[in-house]
Amino acid sequence: MSTLPPDSLALRLGGRSVLLPKRATVVALSIVVLLALAVVASIAVGNGRTVGWRAVEAFFGGQNSFARRTVFDFRLPRVIAGAVAGAALGLAGCLTQTLARNRLATPDLVGVNDGATVGVLITVLGSTTASIGAWWAGPLGAIAAAVLVVAIAGGMGTAGYRVLVVGLALSVTIEAFTELILARQQVDVARGVWGWTIGNLNSRGYDVALPVLAGLAVLVPLALLASRKLNMLRFGDDTAATLGVVPGRWRLYALAVAVGLAGLAVGIGGPVAFVAMAAPIVASRLAGAARVPVVTAALTGALLVVCADTLGRAFGPVEVPVGVLASLLGGPFLLWVLLSERSADGNGGAR
Amino acid sequence: MKLTVEGLRAAYGKREVVSEVDFVAAPGTVTAIVGPNGCGKSTLLRCVARLHKPSGGRVTVDGADVWARSPRRVARDLALLPQSPVAPEAITVAGLVSHGRHPHQGLFRQWSRQDEAAAREALAATGVAELAGRRVDRLSGGQRQRCWLAMILAQDTPVVLLDEPTSALDLGHQVEVLSLIRKIAGKRNRTVLMVVHDLAAAARYADRLIAMRDGRVVAEGAPAEVLTSGLVKSLYGVEADILAAPGDGAPVVVARADSASPTSSLCDKGA
Repeated sequence: MSTLPPDSLALRLGGRSVLLPKRATVVALSIVVLLALAVVASIAVGNGRTVGWRAVEAFFGGQNSFARRTVFDFRLPRVIAGAVAGAALGLAGCLTQTLARNRLATPDLVGVNDGATVGVLITVLGSTTASIGAWWAGPLGAIAAAVLVVAIAGGMGTAGYRVLVVGLALSVTIEAFTELILARQQVDVARGVWGWTIGNLNSRGYDVALPVLAGLAVLVPLALLASRKLNMLRFGDDTAATLGVVPGRWRLYALAVAVGLAGLAVGIGGPVAFVAMAAPIVASRLAGAARVPVVTAALTGALLVVCADTLGRAFGPVEVPVGVLASLLGGPFLLWVLLSERSADGNGGAR
Repeated sequence: MKLTVEGLRAAYGKREVVSEVDFVAAPGTVTAIVGPNGCGKSTLLRCVARLHKPSGGRVTVDGADVWARSPRRVARDLALLPQSPVAPEAITVAGLVSHGRHPHQGLFRQWSRQDEAAAREALAATGVAELAGRRVDRLSGGQRQRCWLAMILAQDTPVVLLDEPTSALDLGHQVEVLSLIRKIAGKRNRTVLMVVHDLAAAARYADRLIAMRDGRVVAEGAPAEVLTSGLVKSLYGVEADILAAPGDGAPVVVARADSASPTSSLCDKGA
């Protein structure tokens, strides 16, 4: 018999030991490579003359200074913002799906993203310029929505199920607020903001990407630290508790981190749909279902959003918002997940 | 380690389901809690396992109150196999068993040599080593239950709690799992406390019986002494004969036909 657990490499040094899951590591590294390629491709797509190979050359220091400015001051910040938002959504979805033990439990479906959207919209209220709103209001709105949902659900419940139901109901209500706020804006402001409320990375730059990156630098390690506990939560509450992991406490922790991540993501790119649901599912199919795919889900989310944003800009002068593309691709994906869940081995996911 | 329960009370809301329960479970022995549905035996086990906060009394392992210690610390003393444990999707036998090591692990102690040794020993002791790479959800009920026992063994605790470990198994697998439980108690001098439905199985495999009714202990002691037709009548309201098994003399309960008087169970709701 080989090592135990069989799919991992145990690295030991003195009294310390770290487990490196083989397949998940290979998958994560592959996605990093794909993400790098997608970033370069994304930079090469756009309006003007600096496109294609010219843009790639500029990115690696060639071409003239104008081309380099186009790439570094306009394209790159947007791509980074997209990757960061995608990673945050993928990770947030991974956390909420695990804590509720249900694949439909994602920040977009339980009202967290809607709360963040309203939060950001409120900062535009009364503005006469068509600004997109302050990113920092995203996390605040997300937290407010999450607190409301958990309070109405009466705590975290036994398996987060009540949170899911209450969240579904509340998200519809909160969405109505978005519409209400939009309806009361001047037409040009409303139009500018509307594009963002369906998920859009247009004119997002370093000023947004950097503070959000800093937020992620705090939240991602917090999520990684919890991944061992999350693995235990996949066993029933009784088993987790008798193995020393208090389920309620860790669910609350995971929810708090997820809400922060989702709020930041919405603050950047608006409520991009489906990434939070699809990324963890794709990640778990790729990296294996043996453990919660925290890292892979984040990378997959980043890859999805960068690809969707690139696609949206690749065809014609009018760009398709990333949120629209994500929904277009995500709808069929959701169907596929729900239908394949019912067949064959689908007894562990949506219950 | 000795498991002691003193004056334990437990309630759901205002309804008290366990009242003033005292007993001691000694190392190297198997203690079985028996009684009708809703008699409080599962709640009692949950209180011992630190899953249900008692409203009074104490549960101690080697003198240390389990409710005064951290959940993680208690997880190195007590292991529980719930009645219907949940396995994560697509987990393998080896994966399942290695999760039993969690209370001994940390951020930079994710898989020590002790973890490896304990998991291997658990796989071997329960006879599931050759299934290590198989998916748990594709095994038979008996194999699966042995895997869960392996996970509990890997946790390497002096006290092992089992909630109806054989309730979903056929006769062959029941015998197999109960013999394994006896072995678990004997080998490392573990203290085993289990809730069992089947009186005859409890009588044959346990060193001590604790019979409960309406949240109280009504009889306690060695199975051959405790298990009488009077006890069966008071627990289940059934007239029964207690025979000695021809093979080993262990008590066997045979209910008489048409003897049920369903008035007995005062607390028949919930388990």
